[in-house]
Amino acid sequence: MHSICSSFFLDSRLYSGHHHFEDNDKLLRHYMDYLCFRTLCCKGPPPPRPEYDVVCIGLTGSGKTSLLSRLCSEATDNIVPTTGFSIKAVPFPNAILNVKELGGADSIKKYWSRYYQGSQGVVFVLDSASSEEDLEVARTELHSALQHPQLCTLPFLILANHQDKPAARTVQEIKKYFELEPLARGKSWILEGSSVDNMEAVKESFSQLIHLLEEKDQETGRI
Amino acid sequence: MRVKQECNSSDVGVPCTTEDELLKRSAISPEDVLGLQKITENYLCGPLENVYNIDFTRFKIRDMETGTVLFEITKPPPLESAVNKRDLEPNAGRFVRYQFTPAFLQLRRVGATVEFTVGDIPINNFRMIERHYFRGQLLKSFDFEFGFCIPSSKNTCEHIYELPPLSEELMREMILHPYETQSDSFYFVDNKLVMHNKADYSYSGGP
Repeated sequence: MHSICSSFFLDSRLYSGHHHFEDNDKLLRHYMDYLCFRTLCCKGPPPPRPEYDVVCIGLTGSGKTSLLSRLCSEATDNIVPTTGFSIKAVPFPNAILNVKELGGADSIKKYWSRYYQGSQGVVFVLDSASSEEDLEVARTELHSALQHPQLCTLPFLILANHQDKPAARTVQEIKKYFELEPLARGKSWILEGSSVDNMEAVKESFSQLIHLLEEKDQETGRI
Repeated sequence: MRVKQECNSSDVGVPCTTEDELLKRSAISPEDVLGLQKITENYLCGPLENVYNIDFTRFKIRDMETGTVLFEITKPPPLESAVNKRDLEPNAGRFVRYQFTPAFLQLRRVGATVEFTVGDIPINNFRMIERHYFRGQLLKSFDFEFGFCIPSSKNTCEHIYELPPLSEELMREMILHPYETQSDSFYFVDNKLVMHNKADYSYSGGP
């Protein structure tokens, strides 16, 4: 079986490869076997999954990029602070979320609202183990988002991340501190603890969001 | 990111255009390139028109069905003491040659990630139109809007390409004629062409 990409040639001295074909080769051989198997044994391609556009915000260091990368089975050992937007298609069993993740540094977060248009849902990530000061900033930002005209009717998934850290506040404490019961009343939101150490739970949290997105879709009578 | 995908200029409702016509215009718009029927011979703008200092720094392709990364390439960071840019070939970095095996043509959904940096002027509306041709035939046109770009930012975007179903015959031809599958990627800021990159493709599995 042939691999899909035998070689790569770039007509520019400015580029250097960090293409690792030796590793890819093995993967691709397995992949080709899989493709062959599928062609012979399956009746056809699976029906396409519905897609939803979601914006992902939260302060710098809250863990947005790490969580999303792991959901895409990507390496997380060389993650650096996001200094703009990162648009990713994150696959789930019964939907694809087109996530627009925005950097959380001060210089970036002042532009968050430029990206709200067209969103169908929001993922807000916070560091449960951050300082009092940072937690307060996170609260301000979450409240801002919950009330923003382009987001206020959308489902929110709030992830109290870094639950694995000893200083992490519990989900109950976060719920109370962020005043979610009064402030988010009438809106559809989910608050869950999360940690990159337990991605199964993270996937489950996202499934709940997808459920809300499906409901909303049916509500607005979209095909 | 979902992309708009149409095949013909008539689908999009724009008149056909030729490269010669466009080269005479002072500014080229998205509608202008959507009317092109074949690959251009020349670049429709020069490197100096990239006033927003947009720089592509990484590119990756993965199969959406399995998540397998098919290839990835990164541009090394510029060295301050590097060769004087004027000495380099003016179109270096604007052309990429891809070499795939025939199996690539069987893929249905491919995720292409592009990473780019932006200079210190904010960009209101960044849009890319990419047209793929085999010989004189338009195979597919992709159109996506990145929208707003934060000044001095580094951004990544993965767009899902639904690869067009190709007839056995066409696939055979594409495999037998390497590098006759070509693409033009046009980049617009506020509906004005600022960058134009090109690529060609082999599906025969060899150099």
